[in-house]
Amino acid sequence: MTRYAMVVDLDRCQGCRACVEACKIENNTPSAVFWMYVFRLEEGEFPNTKMSFLPRPCQHCNNAPCVKVCPVGARYKRDDGLVLTDFDRCIGCRYCEVACPYGVNYFNWRGPEEAWAPYGVPFDDPDLAAVTGGAFPAYRNPDHDRLYGPEQRRTSGSSHYKGVVEKCTFCVHRVEQGLLPACVDTCPVGALKFGDTDDERSPISTFLRNHEHFQLLEELGTDPSVHYVGSTPPRSDAREIERPLTGV
Amino acid sequence: MVEVSRRTFLKASAVTGGTLAASNFLFEGIKSVSKADVLAVAPVEDRVFTTCWIGKQDCGMSARRIDGRVVKFEGMAGHPRNDGTLCPKGQAQIISIYDPNRVKTPLVRTNGKGVTGEWRQASWDEALGLVAEQVNRVRAEDPSLVLWQKGRSKSSALYDNAFTKAIGSSKLGHGAYCSDTGYRALEYTLGLHGVLNPDLVNNRYLLAWGWNITNAGGNKFCWITWPRQMLEAREKGMKIVHVDPRLRAAGPFADEWVPIRPSTDLALALALCNELIAQGYLDRPYLAKFTNGPYLVGDDGLILKETFGEGDEAVDVAFVWDETTNSAKLATEATQPALEGDWTVEGKTYTTGFELFKAHVARYTAEWAAEVCGVDASVIRRMASEFGENAQIGATTIVDGVEVPYRPVGIMAYHMAQQELGFQALRAMTMVTMLVGAVGAVGGQLADTTWKIDKNYAAFEELKVGDPPYDFTLKGSKYFPINSGFPGMVAKVMQDPGRYGVENLPKVVILHHVNPVLAFTSQPDFLESYKKFEFVVSISPWLSETADLFADVVLPAATIEKYEGPLSASDGYIDAQVLRLPPMEPLFESKGEADIYLDLADKIGVLSGEGGYIEQINAELQLVDTEFALPDGERPQVRDIFDRWAKAQGLSGIDYFEQKGVWVKGPLSPDKVYGYVSDPPFGSAVHRLYGESLLKAQRLMKEKGAEEIYWRDYTAFPTWRAPTMEGSPPEYEFYLISYKLVEHKQSRTTLVPLLTELSGKQRLDINPAAARRLGIADGDAVIVESHNAVTGETRTLQTVASFTEGMRPDVVGMPHHFGSWAHPASKDLGPTPNGVFFTGEGYMGQTADASFHVKVKVTKAGGEA
Repeated sequence: MTRYAMVVDLDRCQGCRACVEACKIENNTPSAVFWMYVFRLEEGEFPNTKMSFLPRPCQHCNNAPCVKVCPVGARYKRDDGLVLTDFDRCIGCRYCEVACPYGVNYFNWRGPEEAWAPYGVPFDDPDLAAVTGGAFPAYRNPDHDRLYGPEQRRTSGSSHYKGVVEKCTFCVHRVEQGLLPACVDTCPVGALKFGDTDDERSPISTFLRNHEHFQLLEELGTDPSVHYVGSTPPRSDAREIERPLTGV
Repeated sequence: MVEVSRRTFLKASAVTGGTLAASNFLFEGIKSVSKADVLAVAPVEDRVFTTCWIGKQDCGMSARRIDGRVVKFEGMAGHPRNDGTLCPKGQAQIISIYDPNRVKTPLVRTNGKGVTGEWRQASWDEALGLVAEQVNRVRAEDPSLVLWQKGRSKSSALYDNAFTKAIGSSKLGHGAYCSDTGYRALEYTLGLHGVLNPDLVNNRYLLAWGWNITNAGGNKFCWITWPRQMLEAREKGMKIVHVDPRLRAAGPFADEWVPIRPSTDLALALALCNELIAQGYLDRPYLAKFTNGPYLVGDDGLILKETFGEGDEAVDVAFVWDETTNSAKLATEATQPALEGDWTVEGKTYTTGFELFKAHVARYTAEWAAEVCGVDASVIRRMASEFGENAQIGATTIVDGVEVPYRPVGIMAYHMAQQELGFQALRAMTMVTMLVGAVGAVGGQLADTTWKIDKNYAAFEELKVGDPPYDFTLKGSKYFPINSGFPGMVAKVMQDPGRYGVENLPKVVILHHVNPVLAFTSQPDFLESYKKFEFVVSISPWLSETADLFADVVLPAATIEKYEGPLSASDGYIDAQVLRLPPMEPLFESKGEADIYLDLADKIGVLSGEGGYIEQINAELQLVDTEFALPDGERPQVRDIFDRWAKAQGLSGIDYFEQKGVWVKGPLSPDKVYGYVSDPPFGSAVHRLYGESLLKAQRLMKEKGAEEIYWRDYTAFPTWRAPTMEGSPPEYEFYLISYKLVEHKQSRTTLVPLLTELSGKQRLDINPAAARRLGIADGDAVIVESHNAVTGETRTLQTVASFTEGMRPDVVGMPHHFGSWAHPASKDLGPTPNGVFFTGEGYMGQTADASFHVKVKVTKAGGEA
């Protein structure tokens, strides 16, 4: 049985946020939505200052609090480890958002038009639509129109229906095609790895065996599928620097 | 079968990438699609190779297309520079390709200049006709008064060279804002057209001197390539000492942070030289054999030489003291040149360049530098001993069967060159690596991917200090005998040509992907000087701020959707080339620049014939007298130009790149990488420790009446003086620096909404303790006021304080990618620091290069500090 997991190598991450952008393009997320996010952190006082970078996708917990609280079975854990949202079922109650200790859920307060407006790029411009067929966004990825998993559920990409909750899917649409998640695929410095931890001989299993690793907020017992290697967990006095525009 | 469910959306929206406008996706009142109907029509998917457009280093990309529409760019596997990966800019550029805010058609101005433009759409024929008419009007008078100014060019063969030669224009680049003074320092000192970078693959100890490791920027590369090499070297044990007032640039990759005071890099480098000599870390064989350290220098500062041949053929050969014969001998004949000592030759006393250097740097002790640089003397001494120790002087290794020195220490310094004392700082830093013999050694100091000697090396042997009238760049003038071509100085000259002995100013400017009023320091000077142009044409995908205020005609260039090149794809160790191929047709009515210049040359009347554009293209692409030369007399297709170039390389044609993406030629031969392996070693350049021609230039400048502010840094050895800005009153207590963010590259990325989202709003990075002392809290609005110590002028901007413990308490910093107003996604994000920097005397380098330093005071907005 396949069990997907991700490894984040903090000794390699340069905090460039290529993963953040690859995710946004691949999954067609609108403004101020970062399914993959990279914190840039600072600790200590001048000149004994420490800086660090912390990529944070959905942790795809094995004991996922968000799944437990979903009243309609929209948020669910697949046998292969992916924690997904069925957009056809989600009622937007936001229990998952409250339950998640990692802050990875985005409730769609805005419909697509409103959510894309801050970019100032009108994809319905007639001259553009003549070329793109009016695709919204212009680089809309049709993979998200398909249904995934044995249950054939609508779980992929950011359809961005107003009133539902979205988050990282580990790029279910790519993983089912045998591709790496978009963030892992683009990482210029090999800081992100992805694979099957159920297979003891897989590169990711070997890597984890040979490296000290930790999970975020291990003490909560959520058992994330995302493992961090190198460096140490951020201290409680870590301050975030260089925050992006958060839109609304 | 359509099933209407609770939460639904329109059927068509789910098919083939969507064919509906945004409003159809709104939640309210829409219908559904049944699962069975999803993707009833399978889209046609394919991939095409192209080259990243937005960044510097031209990474290889594969464009995923759905029914011909590009939906994503991904890294090209096997490309030496990025091997299957992309940075945030590479990923995000797709949104701006589809940006309807691009200039869609040629535009002609309908209102007066100096204010936001009003435009009418024009046909290409009309717009090019207008440009050709103005260009020809000025060409008839003097072609050099047509100025071709670039911010970036990705086909220097076709644009910078062939086109400007065909029309006879002057040209101006952006390098004087980037790294040019570093290039000048290295051309002068080592004869190489490059700036200091290490042999990262084999390096063990790196002074990352202003190297913006995690935010890109560097010699030939932008982001991906060097960080990958850096990580591998670090995993093998390389230590990184980060010399920079700001920690953020190296972040977690600084093994040691040396927060130096801005603009004092020269002082630190001189102290390191002093310490290396004092601690005995000297590679004497290198210094004696490959530098002018042994040359005999008289009391007058001149090298003892004998001239052979006459006129243009004349060659000067210097004398050294030959220890074998105990006599003065020509350097070409001596078997054992002395590095130290003094002797009498024909009644005059001489010593060596190296002996003078030792005496010169003796005053620059670690304690002295500690005061100047704000770095502990013990740290400086330790840096020197670690550098010297890690250099393993005397060690060798075998490359290609040749035994060559192994000196795994080096310096990475690129954009830090752009400061008032940048030229001499880079000379002094190069000398740090010269003393231990790291130049061109395995693991050591590199600067380029060739040891072919740059033409400036010979030109700098005798610097031209001419008489007025000068041209508007002041090349060969008594002000800047070495001259990078500095738009900031040109802006000064345009405002007051008489002061600089300039009679003729350029009248027409062709702006090629350049936005001077936003991207260059000293914004007020550009706002003033661009009024002087009689006609301004902008070639760019967007309406730049410069075009908004000053363009008469705007020609819409394509972004990535064009043929362009040829481009290097080398990572410094593997040789490779690539072309930019269009992943789709140019959007709207835009055209690739090659098409624009072909059509413009045709309108001007210089497409064909002797010296025409086609002939120049053949020359630049080295197609002359080959079977692949473009036939004169017919307007070529751009794809055909590159097809012929590819065939001339022995490839099947442009289809090679369409099918394989990148032409990987194999490892760069070691003689290209290591100076010791090249034959002759170092391309036979004698490395200039002693800068005799700088001293001679100083004397000529004085003779011709140039003021001290111009000649004071033309000294044979790098010589410390306090930067001009130190003359500002004490209330201007902070040094303002600006820097680059990884999300951005130059000013074009500020038009990419996904990237402006990531980089957020403008801010002033400030040390919390320093801010609190002024009553400023994190997030407070602050006024930054700069002061010009030469003119007394002050300039202000308002932004927001952003606390960081990664900044020296006497320094504040701002990223430079802000201040736009011409694009909805980037306006209102805060000001550019270029508005408060100065240019001109005291705020530029001796080689006509920009400085990004100024003293400022910071106060809380709307209240007393």
